[in-house]
Amino acid sequence: MPNFKNSLMRRVSVSTFILGALVGLQSPAFAGAGHSGGHNDGASEIGAPGEISDVRRTIRITMEDNFYDKEKIIVRGGETVRFVIENKGEFVHEFNIGTAAMHAGHQEEMMMMMEHGALEADKINMDMMEMDMGNGMTMKHDDPNSVLLEPGKSAEVIWTFPKDAELEYACNVPGHYESGMVGKVRLQ
Amino acid sequence: MKQKFARSALWGVLAAIAVSSTANAANYDLSVDYVTIDTGEMKTTGIGYNGSSPGPTLRLKEGEEAVIKVTNNLDEATSIHWHGLILPYQMDGVPEISFPGIAPGETFTYRIPVSQSGTYWFHSHSGFQEPDGAYGSIIIEPKKREPFKFDREYVVVLKDKHPHSGARILRNLKMMPDYYNRNQRTLGDFISDVSENGFGATLSERGDWGSMRMMPTDIEDVQGFVGLINGKSPEQNWTGLFKANERVRLRFINASAMTYFDVRIPGLEMTVVQADGNNVQPVKVDEFRISVAETYDVIVQPTADKPYAIMAESMGRSGYAFGSLSPQEGLKAEMPARRMDAPLLTMADMGMDHGNMPGMDHSSMSSGNENSMAGMDHSNMAGMDHSQMAMSKDDPFYAAGSGLTPKAANGGKFLSYADLKAQKPLYPERPATREIELRLTGNMERYTWSINGVKYEDAEPIRLKYGERVRFKFVNETMMSHPMHLHGMWSILDTGNGKWDPVKHTININPGMTVYSETEVDEPGQWAFHCHLSYHMASGMFRKVIVEGGPAVAALENGVQ
Repeated sequence: MPNFKNSLMRRVSVSTFILGALVGLQSPAFAGAGHSGGHNDGASEIGAPGEISDVRRTIRITMEDNFYDKEKIIVRGGETVRFVIENKGEFVHEFNIGTAAMHAGHQEEMMMMMEHGALEADKINMDMMEMDMGNGMTMKHDDPNSVLLEPGKSAEVIWTFPKDAELEYACNVPGHYESGMVGKVRLQ
Repeated sequence: MKQKFARSALWGVLAAIAVSSTANAANYDLSVDYVTIDTGEMKTTGIGYNGSSPGPTLRLKEGEEAVIKVTNNLDEATSIHWHGLILPYQMDGVPEISFPGIAPGETFTYRIPVSQSGTYWFHSHSGFQEPDGAYGSIIIEPKKREPFKFDREYVVVLKDKHPHSGARILRNLKMMPDYYNRNQRTLGDFISDVSENGFGATLSERGDWGSMRMMPTDIEDVQGFVGLINGKSPEQNWTGLFKANERVRLRFINASAMTYFDVRIPGLEMTVVQADGNNVQPVKVDEFRISVAETYDVIVQPTADKPYAIMAESMGRSGYAFGSLSPQEGLKAEMPARRMDAPLLTMADMGMDHGNMPGMDHSSMSSGNENSMAGMDHSNMAGMDHSQMAMSKDDPFYAAGSGLTPKAANGGKFLSYADLKAQKPLYPERPATREIELRLTGNMERYTWSINGVKYEDAEPIRLKYGERVRFKFVNETMMSHPMHLHGMWSILDTGNGKWDPVKHTININPGMTVYSETEVDEPGQWAFHCHLSYHMASGMFRKVIVEGGPAVAALENGVQ
């Protein structure tokens, strides 16, 4: 019984999670690379969630252990891109658009998630992600500029890039960025 | 005799045919030579490969058959052991166990079906040729892309080069076990301990040490060496070049006879991606300790256009190796201040200290925190006890209160065995079929080292059965750390991480500790199993392992007799 409940909950939470990411896309508010409730800094410099109607191009990105199939992407300044992200690896991976500094900050948060058991190498414990950290913040990962995916999962991100910025897409799961799971966004 | 020869020749031909149809052969030649080793301060005659010590880096490819011709130019027998390689036992290079050895003037051809990838090394398994300079590195390129990315790479081989030959060192140790211990406690120390702890406590503490035949300064029993990086002394400054922002992979190998090193690169975090040739889930550290015979691969990303120091201080702080990562040739990094606080062993390292850490149950600590996590109620995480987290950060692979527990020079993260998690588990998880206890024992006063109190010469081999999964229980009853190396088969180190337990070839066991590793017995033949400290191995901390049965029993019976 508890097992059943657990796995059901997990399935429900994972879909809520992906839904959350999609809902996030529609919402006018946006956050930085951090978690819900914090980090509005840098939002304008990295761009904003885009509208599906503005999308002219889809970029598919495959995540493996521990790398992206693309080491850089080239987009026009102001372009809205639909990213289809697929995790083909055996570990949890993230696709997150931000500056190097934002990623560095996010890596510390991800480390904390791992230490608290909310994030394991190959799974996300959604019930723990949604837990109140005591200051109204949760570890829930629902920022529109990122998706965190368990093995085998896919998701979309629609993003409007700014005219000019130094951006990277990165996986901030502990150790992955340092191992090279990061790509450059070349804005033209 | 003739018939036997014909039969083995036939087997050779069959093997050659089998091999040529399944893999590409790649040829390598190594000569074993007398060489001059020049550290800047001293010039000694030693042993090397292809005219130098250290020998070359062999670059093999996963999937090929490496054919390595080794020619012995010495006037004594030699051998080469490929440390960490999985291979037919006749190719493992241990005289008396794998093969008879390579006589002076002879050439022996090793044929190794390369079935793995990563950083490894090779060394002589004859006499004291390895401490005398007979070592080199191996890089095996994987078939598939690696789970990390780097722009350039260097092998960083650490070595404790001693002015005395290995044979002379062991003679001296046998005569006087503290011959090379320059750090003995003096009457002055006694007086200062009395003023701190009182006369009675100091006297009783000294009595305990006396009955152990050990001293608290017995951390490095062979001091007086110069630490080398790729054959270069600190003064000679081995230098690896980089361009700012490049990812540099450093393949650390500890080819020392006796010395553990604490390695750091001030100003850079190191991401550990491989241990003993096997990829691990990347973990970011400020410093790590490398036991004798281990390897660790780290990735660093220097962002500034300036030289960085690679600093490797010995665990007992009696020596160090140093080199530079530099944006240009000839630009030497500034050497960080050496830590002069030589650690002292404590009663905990004697396995005696149970009283002075109230409330901490160390037996449950060493089994890892997986169980306690599993039992954690996730529904009320808000009330989580963070002090528990802090406690799990104590390195569970050192006795609580051990004088050896390492601390990062910058107060940051020091790698623990508990951090090592396999990137891709090599074997499925299953319970062990039986347990074998190996007590690591010794008498420092006579400089004899043993397993279960029995020296190699007097011991029966350990018999394993092909197909079983054996759990080795190492109980370190001595006051020194021992890096135990099982040849031919992997050791799955029990870190309490379940399916993520890392796979290693060398397992370090610290004083006062019990450590478990499991081995899937999947290679027939006979193998060596020993402490990799040269003079402990030579003094009896060694066993022969015989794997009985196997898929190719018949072939074995027709092979080497």
